[in-house]
Amino acid sequence: MSLAILRLLQLADSAFPIGAAAHSFGLETLAAEGTLTPQSLHHFLEDFLWETGRVEAIFGRLAYRGALQNDQQAWVAQWLGLNTYIAALKPARESRDASATLGRRFLQTVAQLEATPRLCQAQAAAQQAAVDIHYCAAFGLVGGALQLGEEATILAYLQQSLMGLVSACLRLLPMGQGRAGEILWGIKPLIDEVATASRASLPVDETTIDLTHYMNRLTTFTPMLDLASMRHPTLPTRLFIS
Amino acid sequence: MPTQTDPTRNRTDGQLHLCFTRPDTAASTRLQVQVQTPPMRVVRAFPIADHAVLTHIHNVSGGVLGGDQLRLCVDVQQNARAQLTSTGATRLYRHRPGYGDATQTNHFQVAPGGLLEYLPDPLIPYAQARYRQITQIELAADAGLMYWEIITPGREAHNERFAYAEVQLTLDIVAAERPIVLERIHLTPATQPLTATARLGIYPYFATFYLCRVGWPPAQWLGLEKTLAAVAQELTLPGEILWGVSTLAAHGLSIRALSINSRTIMRGLLQFWQLAKQAIYGLDAIPPRKVY
Repeated sequence: MSLAILRLLQLADSAFPIGAAAHSFGLETLAAEGTLTPQSLHHFLEDFLWETGRVEAIFGRLAYRGALQNDQQAWVAQWLGLNTYIAALKPARESRDASATLGRRFLQTVAQLEATPRLCQAQAAAQQAAVDIHYCAAFGLVGGALQLGEEATILAYLQQSLMGLVSACLRLLPMGQGRAGEILWGIKPLIDEVATASRASLPVDETTIDLTHYMNRLTTFTPMLDLASMRHPTLPTRLFIS
Repeated sequence: MPTQTDPTRNRTDGQLHLCFTRPDTAASTRLQVQVQTPPMRVVRAFPIADHAVLTHIHNVSGGVLGGDQLRLCVDVQQNARAQLTSTGATRLYRHRPGYGDATQTNHFQVAPGGLLEYLPDPLIPYAQARYRQITQIELAADAGLMYWEIITPGREAHNERFAYAEVQLTLDIVAAERPIVLERIHLTPATQPLTATARLGIYPYFATFYLCRVGWPPAQWLGLEKTLAAVAQELTLPGEILWGVSTLAAHGLSIRALSINSRTIMRGLLQFWQLAKQAIYGLDAIPPRKVY
């Protein structure tokens, strides 16, 4: 148990070398135009958690459970299908590419540290099928393959996602470390609530998942954030890749 | 009076199944109406340029009534070119107690070399409306799609803004058996503030325009994204309208807009349609003859 916690802390640390700090996922556009301010950041992150965080948590859980599946052929189909669906749900190229870049690097880096068969198979299958590996799916898969605990893995994924966005905002908005810490501290109950909601969307402990069924139960609506990401390449000055 | 919702009670089951064929490349596209039940209706197909036809989809009820179950199937066969539009904005009337949610199911198939342009007028959800729209689009190799959707906040002339109960919009675009677009929108303004910064912010109108041609090279999509992004930047007026352009995961591109009214959205969509159709097909976009 203590080894699992220690591993998870390292995987979810912003210093984990996958390049997450280079991405704002559209926040740079919102900040540049004054749509996102230090005052509105907390509410923005709450909405982000309910819309994007919840969906990614569901995908993370599906990937986690897939890692525990015994039927290799069914798992490969599910793994590829999951990542294809994630890509189709992300309308903005920069955010979609960012998720794919982080996912690929995350899986590569963990596989170098702990080359479990499932992690190696996940990389090989995606490469062979020319399917991008998305970050939430990679994080869930690693959690399952290393048996880090489904709840802990999902909570850690959501927490590090928010930390990444707040860290970006520290560079984009007139806001100090103290305020950033307050926001991250205050939003933890919501992270727990969203993780619980994502669990309630799936059957208990089922590893063989009919993806199509769950795709029809997902909902997400972030047009302003999607547009911000689409418009990011045309910003005159950019600190972030996305 | 029934105390529980009975989704089958006095509901209208309207169906329209249209098939567009083009026997050879020298011939024009022809329309075959395979199923047509009220309130959905088509009158005829009007020939337009480049062997294509324009068809207006009528809803003789004047809108979608609470409990209506409407189904539209469109089959664009090999090399056929069809343009579909509505005869006016789709009014989504208030939910009738005891009836199920109004549902519109769309299933579009485009065969190799075919092109479907589905360009309806905006959706206007009235106060207390409950509406579900499920759209599935399947594109074969070298099939093309130009599809837009415009969602308004309601009857603003009656001071109704986000007064509807629930709007669900599900869209799947599958190209060569690979999902390239999934939209899973569920709007419940009473419980989920749509004016939040991550959602619509200060812009109550939103639109999405998908442009696809299966098999068009990724580098060309990226080039078109760049060209149209420059136009999007010119058309963007912060506080009035925002435009964005992005390639899809494969085989296409999406254009999005958030606006304070629908007129500027429509003007922009027509401009993007013209530019994109020229770039992708080398053909002019022929707008349906109506006032935008």
